[in-house]
Amino acid sequence: MKRLKKILPVLFVIILAASGYGIYLYNKKPADLRKVNPEYELTAAALLEDFTKDETAANQKYLDKVIAVKGKVAMVNLGPKGQASVVMDSGDPLAAITCSFYDDEADAVKKINEGAEIVIKGKCTGKLMDVVLNECSINK
Amino acid sequence: MKKTILITAVFFLTLTSFAQQRYFTKTAIVSFEAGTVLEDIDGLNKSTTSVLDAATGQVEFALLVKGFEFKRALMQEHFNENYMESDKYPKSVFKGKVTNLDKVNFQKDGTYPVTVKGTLEIHGIKKEVETTGTFNIKGGTVLSAAEFTVVLDDYQIAIPGVVKDKISKTAKIKVNCSYAVLQ
Repeated sequence: MKRLKKILPVLFVIILAASGYGIYLYNKKPADLRKVNPEYELTAAALLEDFTKDETAANQKYLDKVIAVKGKVAMVNLGPKGQASVVMDSGDPLAAITCSFYDDEADAVKKINEGAEIVIKGKCTGKLMDVVLNECSINK
Repeated sequence: MKKTILITAVFFLTLTSFAQQRYFTKTAIVSFEAGTVLEDIDGLNKSTTSVLDAATGQVEFALLVKGFEFKRALMQEHFNENYMESDKYPKSVFKGKVTNLDKVNFQKDGTYPVTVKGTLEIHGIKKEVETTGTFNIKGGTVLSAAEFTVVLDDYQIAIPGVVKDKISKTAKIKVNCSYAVLQ
């Protein structure tokens, strides 16, 4: 009985720490990609070429990775609910790079001029018609 | 006589070409809610593409499953790895048609209730769905909104016993698009 009395408080602390960690993990937000270094840095044209040449290989290489893409802005789009996105020229008239930004980057996106050369960092989510990047921010 | 026929023909041709606009968006928003009282589960996709053909009423959507954003990292992980298996089924597609196209006047500003019917593919499974929605025509652009429910089981999305009280058996899906004329 004496042993149990000694162990109890230690056990209690361990359980508290474990549940605390569990709650932390459970509530953890997705990483803020603005603080993450890109795994690849390439031009919009090169990115699209990789996807057109071999989509499966490109998916393997780029899906879920943070990449920095350099290109010319073809269009800036500001949605009615504050969503901001930019379409980058890839040299291919049928397919471009669509970049969907964090909602709080909307102000920065508003200042982007069409035709400007820009580097955008985001997570590659695949290719529909365009190669799509999510959680984007302007790379300084 | 010949001139009248020619002029009438050109007149009708231009009339039809007005109605044959195709509308397009790369930033349509699709959201879903599959939570219960115990836990809220919702995801948001801001880069859905969609084409709407005003002449035929055909409407198509395509989205990347990995494009859904969540407020909790674990939720995103489970969604992709366990439920949607997005490495195996990276895209979700809807191909359908507006069934009451004759009730919509794309040239006149206003809000029109629409019914859309077609095939929805989620997690590699295709099912016929039908939903109502609205088209809001405003100066040459079309804003669409629709809301419908899907049964997760229909698409073989398996919910493990451990979390079956936290995840709803159905998901409420909302679609919002701001279409522009396809140049």
